[in-house]
Amino acid sequence: MRRTVLGLLALTGTAVLMGTGPAFADGATTPSPVPSAAEPTTHPEASDTPKPAAPAERSRPARPAPSAEPTRAPARDQVSVVPSGAPDTGVTTGSTGSGTGGTVIGAGAAAVLLVGGGTVFVVRRRASGA
Amino acid sequence: MTAFSRRAFTAAALASVLTACGGGTAAPPAATATPPPKPAAGSRPASGPAPVRLLIPAIGVDTPVMPLGLAADGTVQVPPVEADDRAGWYRHSPVPGRTGPSVLLGHVTVGRYGDGVFRHLGRLRPGDRIEARLENGTAAAFAVTAVRTVPKNDFPVDDVYGNVARPEVRLITCGGARTADGYADNVIVFAVQDGAGSPTSGER
Repeated sequence: MRRTVLGLLALTGTAVLMGTGPAFADGATTPSPVPSAAEPTTHPEASDTPKPAAPAERSRPARPAPSAEPTRAPARDQVSVVPSGAPDTGVTTGSTGSGTGGTVIGAGAAAVLLVGGGTVFVVRRRASGA
Repeated sequence: MTAFSRRAFTAAALASVLTACGGGTAAPPAATATPPPKPAAGSRPASGPAPVRLLIPAIGVDTPVMPLGLAADGTVQVPPVEADDRAGWYRHSPVPGRTGPSVLLGHVTVGRYGDGVFRHLGRLRPGDRIEARLENGTAAAFAVTAVRTVPKNDFPVDDVYGNVARPEVRLITCGGARTADGYADNVIVFAVQDGAGSPTSGER
């Protein structure tokens, strides 16, 4: 009896851990299709990355990566602030459904518990001759 | 099975079911979790009227254009992921029709909403027409000179954002291999204003 209870508790703990693990992983790895925090309003952040000295004097070999929106006005011609990296302009359906993994694992664990518990119940009843 | 073990089993099963239900809500849909980019105060470029509409007849594009800035990580903002997808103009690039590379971006797909406004950008061919309409009622017409598909980890920053001596546009979206996390490549369309001179170095 004690073993049964302990076994059930262990199964429950496993199911909880398996169900919640992917949720944390999702939060950390799901790519954000649209960058969120964007533009400072009135106080520009103190940035470690030097901004280009003049709008039209961008150095081609260097790739300045401003850490936030600059406050100065855009230049009349050319690109005044060169963004870093490649734009993320494609959101696939797979990247939006990452929460289903936890659901499937949790549901699977519940099903295993139900079937296993039912089996134990039947076997015990038969063994006891009830 | 004793009454105690039945209670323990029931509690365990209930915990599992609750865990399963919780899994669905732990990760919000990516398409709705991120707020759309907000144009900063004073986002109106000093260089002239902003583009408000983009037309690419060859691939059936007729879309509003929103201004885009920089994200906190230094990458360019992209339009919000929503059913009513539209293009965006990087507001630190020249207004279409001004000297320099005017950069416009759009999604190729928008997750559960399906195709993005630039879904068929890769089908453009040299000579195809692009028209940008500005908020003052004027328009600038361009002709495609090159279409390139490049790996995201080797994005040609200089070719896209580098100085040019004539009015040009760059249309950017994603492309290439499609995985659950996104796309491996970017599709970049280079175009020059009608009547402008020879191609620039990026139009290979």
